[in-house]
Amino acid sequence: MPDERTTRDDEARSADHAGIERLADVLVPALVAKLGTLNVGELEVREGEWRIRLRRPAGMGPTYGRRATDRPSRSHPGHEQHGHAPGALEAHRATAGRPATLAAASANGATAAMNGAAGPVLAAVGPGRSGADGAGTPDRAQIATSPAVGVFQPGPKAVGGTRVRAGDRLGVVDMLGVPQEVVAPADAIVVGVIVDAGTAVEYGQELIHLEPAPAEAR
Amino acid sequence: MFRKILIANRGEIALRILRACRTLGVEAVVAYSEADRDSLPVQLAEEAICIGPADARRSYLSAPAVISAAIVTGSDAIHPGYGFLSEDETFAEVVRAHDLTFIGPPPEVLDRFASKEGTRRLLGDYGLPTIPGSRGMLRDDEHALEEAERIGYPVLIKPSAGGGGKGMRMVRTPRELESAIKVCRSEAKSAFGDDSLYLEKWLEDNRHVEVQVAVDRYGHGVHLGERDCSVQRRHQKILEEAPTPALSPAARAELCELAVRAVVEAGYENVGTLEFLVDAKGDFYFIEINCRIQVEHPVTEMLTGIDLVATQIRIAAGEPLGFSQADVRPRGHAIEFRINAEDPEHEFRPGAGVVEGYHAPGGPGIRMDSHLYPGYEVPPFYDSLLGKLVAWGPDRETAIARGRAALDELVVDGIVTNVEIHKALLANEMFLEGRMTTNLLDRVGSAAFLAAAART
Repeated sequence: MPDERTTRDDEARSADHAGIERLADVLVPALVAKLGTLNVGELEVREGEWRIRLRRPAGMGPTYGRRATDRPSRSHPGHEQHGHAPGALEAHRATAGRPATLAAASANGATAAMNGAAGPVLAAVGPGRSGADGAGTPDRAQIATSPAVGVFQPGPKAVGGTRVRAGDRLGVVDMLGVPQEVVAPADAIVVGVIVDAGTAVEYGQELIHLEPAPAEAR
Repeated sequence: MFRKILIANRGEIALRILRACRTLGVEAVVAYSEADRDSLPVQLAEEAICIGPADARRSYLSAPAVISAAIVTGSDAIHPGYGFLSEDETFAEVVRAHDLTFIGPPPEVLDRFASKEGTRRLLGDYGLPTIPGSRGMLRDDEHALEEAERIGYPVLIKPSAGGGGKGMRMVRTPRELESAIKVCRSEAKSAFGDDSLYLEKWLEDNRHVEVQVAVDRYGHGVHLGERDCSVQRRHQKILEEAPTPALSPAARAELCELAVRAVVEAGYENVGTLEFLVDAKGDFYFIEINCRIQVEHPVTEMLTGIDLVATQIRIAAGEPLGFSQADVRPRGHAIEFRINAEDPEHEFRPGAGVVEGYHAPGGPGIRMDSHLYPGYEVPPFYDSLLGKLVAWGPDRETAIARGRAALDELVVDGIVTNVEIHKALLANEMFLEGRMTTNLLDRVGSAAFLAAAART
């Protein structure tokens, strides 16, 4: 079955949503409870064709002011086409036919896959980030990420409370003198800047925290 | 010596460079694309920085992304590995313009040796016998036909801008030439962004022998012996060994001495490799120079004990070579098997996927240079090289025996690899007798080759 992540027609989208709802009824309460008890930033579950990832909201704790020279976080969104809802239930259709696998994180972050796990198993795939309060509804958050490796300069719209449209310029990342635009991933309201002006950032790094604008048509 | 080096490459060579940096006590930061976020060099490095999406044109091939990453991480040098930007003289110049050091030949040296056809003339002037070839790039089909007549069929069409077999075709007649040129132009365009082609005389039943050299900034150069890279599939090397069974010790010495003398006099600097074709009579002809570290460098390292990547770094840092030709004492025999994610039973169709099980062989004389680990997902965006298994022995027979045992011990589960073709090579009479030529595999095709090996 071809990978449909890039060509999502209405039929595929509603099939996905139905699948997500089925998994959500069974798995999400267990996953959320697990996330709360473990000192990890992210959980990933694979079952059949599906891979479900739960992530703590990125707007808190160590991602603020994160420097490009830090060890890369496993939970970097780095999606240039659309924003994310970190901390939300995120379902990715894995490559068809791949068996359920258990992914375990070792001390240095390497992942080892072992076969034979029956049914969905919880596993930590990201480095732990302590101190985050998992309460609230993190699925409302969106993130504008860096389009390049360079130095971040927020623009005039990157101020809390500003209403922006998808594609609006929120700032730039200066890559070797060439400004690369940081854009709003969706119609949203700016919450705040995650990374200070003048900070060196890497490609895909989380820069600006937004939340979906209310009463916007999907 | 540099304080920090940005490794602008991926996979097994990024890991190799990281190891050399650690040996030298130099900090390293690995630049990676999104597709390589979980790769082994990224995980092992103390520092890593994501420079772009999976598309190499926006990451590993993006000079601004690579240089920007070097600047923001406080690196003072960039190691380009092989492929990607490793022989791009424009990139090397921009690196220097930002007060960083490109680990390789300086830009003006890269420029001097940039044109394959110009380099043949240059090194020909410095005493190397060279392969007959076209004068200049092929302007159009008419020019190509004229040059082919002058050189004499069969001829090999080659792209000016790159290697690895892409854009290369051997043709025997004017009609074949005309149709092949179109294919070669489009392959070269998509692989290197440049569809310039030239012609070389094709020698039937030729051997490919290359000479490893190292020249410091002060003009002191040595050769580190030769390697035989005759075992190829569609002009792509899959197995390399040293010393070459194709030449006598006296002929090998003559070849290596000619090569290093020519390259020093022509002003080369840093580590490099001169490639030659050897015909059935044992005469050799220079074809091209590779101004970078090569995939098969471990073969030479196993024979000489000299760390070629560390040597590159030291030369680029302005250190003298520190050893003379007399200090280079190759010992024994080494064979490298390129382990690729390719299916030899289906025309070497490349594959991707999760490596569910991985075990590297070991024991006396066995070296495995690979970025694989259990659970690693091989991305579909880059070349299919998974690793290099190198077997050394005091003689060729022992190296072969150890190689055979190591190939049996190697485990790569979850994706298809070309291990079977290597086992078939080690059962092939021509290979075992050291008489292999570059058409060993292509003459019969891989399926027939495997079938013949299965019958022995």
